[in-house]
Amino acid sequence: MALENPSPLGLLAPVPGSARRRAVNRAVEIACTLAAVLAVAVLLLVVISVFIKGAPAISWKFLTSNPQTSTLNFGVNSGGIANSIVGSAILIGLASAMAVPVGILVAIYTSEFAGPRSSSGIRFALDVLNGVPTIVTGVFVYGVLVVGAHQSGWAGAIALAIVELPIVARSSQEVLVLVPRTLHEAGLALGLKRWRVVVSIVLPTALGGLITGAVLGVARVAGETAPLIFTSSIFSNLGLTTNPAQAMPNIPVTLFSLSESASPQDHAQAWASALVLIAFVLILSILARAFHARSMAKLSH
Amino acid sequence: MPITTKECILRLRRTTAGLVAVLAASGIAACGSSSSGSSTSSASSSSAASSGSGAALVGAGSTLVEPLVQVWQPLYDKAYGTAVTYGGIGSGGGIEQITSRTVDFGASDAPLTSSQAAACKGCLEIPWALAATDIAYNVKGVPSGLHFTGPVLADIWMGKIKSWNDPAIQKLNPGVKLPATAIVPVHRTDGSGDTFAFTNYLSKVSPTFAKQIGNATTVNWPGGIGGKGNSGVGGALTSTNGAIAYIAIAYVGANKLDYGLVQNAAGKYPTPGIPSISAAAAALKSVPQGGTQGISLTDPPASAPNAYPISTFTYILIPTSTSKAAPLQKFVNWAITTGQASGPSLDFAPLPSAIVAADKATLKLIK
Amino acid sequence: MSTSSAAPRGPFRLRASLADRIGEPSLRTLTAVSALGVVLLILWIAETVVNQSSTAVSQLGIGFLGHQVWDPNHNIFGALDFILGTLVSSFIALLIATPTAIAISIYLTELAPRAIRRPVAILVELLAAIPSVILGLWGLLVLGPFLTNHLEPFLKSFLAWTGIFNGTPSPVGMLNAALILTIMALPIVTAITREVFETTPRDLKEAAYAMGATRTEMIRMVVLPLARPGLVGAVILGVGRAIGEAIAVTQVIGNASQFQASLFAPSGTLAAQIASEFQGANPGLWQSSLMYLALILLVISLVVNILGRLMVRRTAVH
Repeated sequence: MALENPSPLGLLAPVPGSARRRAVNRAVEIACTLAAVLAVAVLLLVVISVFIKGAPAISWKFLTSNPQTSTLNFGVNSGGIANSIVGSAILIGLASAMAVPVGILVAIYTSEFAGPRSSSGIRFALDVLNGVPTIVTGVFVYGVLVVGAHQSGWAGAIALAIVELPIVARSSQEVLVLVPRTLHEAGLALGLKRWRVVVSIVLPTALGGLITGAVLGVARVAGETAPLIFTSSIFSNLGLTTNPAQAMPNIPVTLFSLSESASPQDHAQAWASALVLIAFVLILSILARAFHARSMAKLSH
Repeated sequence: MPITTKECILRLRRTTAGLVAVLAASGIAACGSSSSGSSTSSASSSSAASSGSGAALVGAGSTLVEPLVQVWQPLYDKAYGTAVTYGGIGSGGGIEQITSRTVDFGASDAPLTSSQAAACKGCLEIPWALAATDIAYNVKGVPSGLHFTGPVLADIWMGKIKSWNDPAIQKLNPGVKLPATAIVPVHRTDGSGDTFAFTNYLSKVSPTFAKQIGNATTVNWPGGIGGKGNSGVGGALTSTNGAIAYIAIAYVGANKLDYGLVQNAAGKYPTPGIPSISAAAAALKSVPQGGTQGISLTDPPASAPNAYPISTFTYILIPTSTSKAAPLQKFVNWAITTGQASGPSLDFAPLPSAIVAADKATLKLIK
Repeated sequence: MSTSSAAPRGPFRLRASLADRIGEPSLRTLTAVSALGVVLLILWIAETVVNQSSTAVSQLGIGFLGHQVWDPNHNIFGALDFILGTLVSSFIALLIATPTAIAISIYLTELAPRAIRRPVAILVELLAAIPSVILGLWGLLVLGPFLTNHLEPFLKSFLAWTGIFNGTPSPVGMLNAALILTIMALPIVTAITREVFETTPRDLKEAAYAMGATRTEMIRMVVLPLARPGLVGAVILGVGRAIGEAIAVTQVIGNASQFQASLFAPSGTLAAQIASEFQGANPGLWQSSLMYLALILLVISLVVNILGRLMVRRTAVH
């Protein structure tokens, strides 16, 4: 951006270098376009290479069978990641069962009950919680729940829930604020107490947006590894683990250990696991977006 | 959107019920009392491991022994219906996790230091497998089987020998054409028994190394790349031209890595493998009893000319007082007898009979 | 909006009274407790980290921050190299991501055909959802070999004199980590930057055009100055994301405990060091020092995140 005219006043006079200015403008435009195209291309490259490298190893067997004895690190690899898929599903389910209701309750508090000061205080607290590095969350849950006990699905799910909570709460807040005041007032005018207005008018109206928030939260924690490496990483690879009292196999941790291996078979499995994970996350994100667009249309209408 | 009172109340009923259900669900989730231990699986699985049967054992630690434990798991499950869960998090991790009792047993290739033993409050260290740490490398155009001596290895990891065609390495390998590629030493980032065995050996053969870096499961390496677990070291090694690593012997075979031959006290270059590891164990003069002492096998005396110099026992760490005493005794007893048969295919040498006898006596101390 | 309504008396009052007497206070209490829970949770996390790092804090003091050596074997612990690694990797990431994000945002708000603006914006935001462990896998297996064989030898061929593009090309190291963090931060920074650019008042833009400004001049004189606080906020939030990342960094940085001037060399960060050593650290000074690292990381991230939010909000208000 090497422009000769620093002050807007200078522009008023017919500038001698006007052809030059146009050239500079053109150059900047081209540079911006190129940068945009290049950056988007690099980002897409990551996704595309996961698809290309992961697809060959994806099979029905990969998705539905457990690892063979020596899947991790050793020998020829003929097993799959069924136990990690099941474990991840349970961990995410438990985490969401904790984070989603609590997140929505927090959002209701700020939008319905709290005064403006405590409301912005809570919003600030949620931003702070969202800013806690996930590895610190992992260390925290390890210190509180794992030391003196075992690693467990519960510990992992709670760590994930701590990551998920602020995401759900913040996006629910944004939706609840959009519920038209007139609806509130109509309810109150009918003699309904605030809680009834919330339960029977506000929440149903905002439902689409609340679901969006929940889905975004799920998409975010589905790929989280750091909260799990100290809470649910010592797991059995022999069969399915469905009891959250034990550490549960999960895709992120499995992917993490496979990625560091020296064996090409493990790398093939890592790419395939990455494909499963990325497909899940992207589909959820797209769904959330679709929901979001719909509920926004409904709310503004 | 006009809402009639009737609609309002209908919605109210529906949503209240929904809300109650959600809250109830989260309440259950938060309490965590009703966890069912069933594990029925429609998926095909090599063995129907039933988790939560109460007899399940959870352990963690050494990645050196991990391949062997992975072979043991389904065998033991099939024979006795006990699922053994094992996490390869490094020997340091094994010691730390058994100390904080987050696992039923720890596994470490490094014996407990006195402060670790004190912190662990009555932990027994029972040798349950015998293996070695290899020197592996990845240099384009250089074949497997380079010769090294202890002091040369010490200088490489201290950053004093920087390139592959250094005269010190060339002198040991007169027939080999070595490139000018820079040497990238790979080390473990997690607390590791391989690091312990390797630094134990280097400290014995190089006083400078002993003074500057010392012998432990985690030391302050002056440079190079770190990898997590033996697996991570293998990954770093194969992706980096010019890399050299110390890595558990089983990983060398599994990943077909090029490995070096290390000169022993007798001046020979034995191939790392079961005969040379067993020779190192055979050179032991006495076997400590009681499970409170480690046994060093590194740098065996010149009287054992075929002994590999970086051999190591690997230990299972068990608290003397544990709620899982009986299943642990049964499992270890199986591992040090029947289980040893699984070792050779992974380059684990069978335990000497004197060790097995001492182990059996130690196991009786667990209550 | 917070005052409860003066409930109209009349026929509704009786019908709803019992449910209301239970429902109103329960929902109020339930939501208030949840909200309070968030605050308590933050305090609990902070308390746990402070508490578990207390041994190291009292023994090593503030000097820990300026001490270089990390040698658990000799009980010597210093955080400086990890702090440097964290700052440098995030700095490089944002050095690349910021201009790129601005370019993408200019393209999306001013240059692109209307039909593709939204799809591309959504695409970029979707990419923020890629799990970091997958970026780490890509960095390790795709980017790493490319760096060793192509990019690093190329940079070295004419920039070796700088000292930062010198040394042995290596698949894992600071450069790889910084690039992965760039890819991670770019969608976040872009999303915020684009939103901020979109808030530029139309009349100001038109005024600039009316004065004869070219598009570039308009952007330079109207869009960028107005967006400055939001831009700074976006960058800071990007830094927040990069600083706290543990997994992807530990996969690609090489996990050395020394910081080196060469970007090719393996290094470490606060988060990556915790991820790779915590599980194996002996209780006592070692583990406590790792918690001290966590404390430093927590403080840096909180400061950065709060600053970023404030800056972004300032633009939104305006």
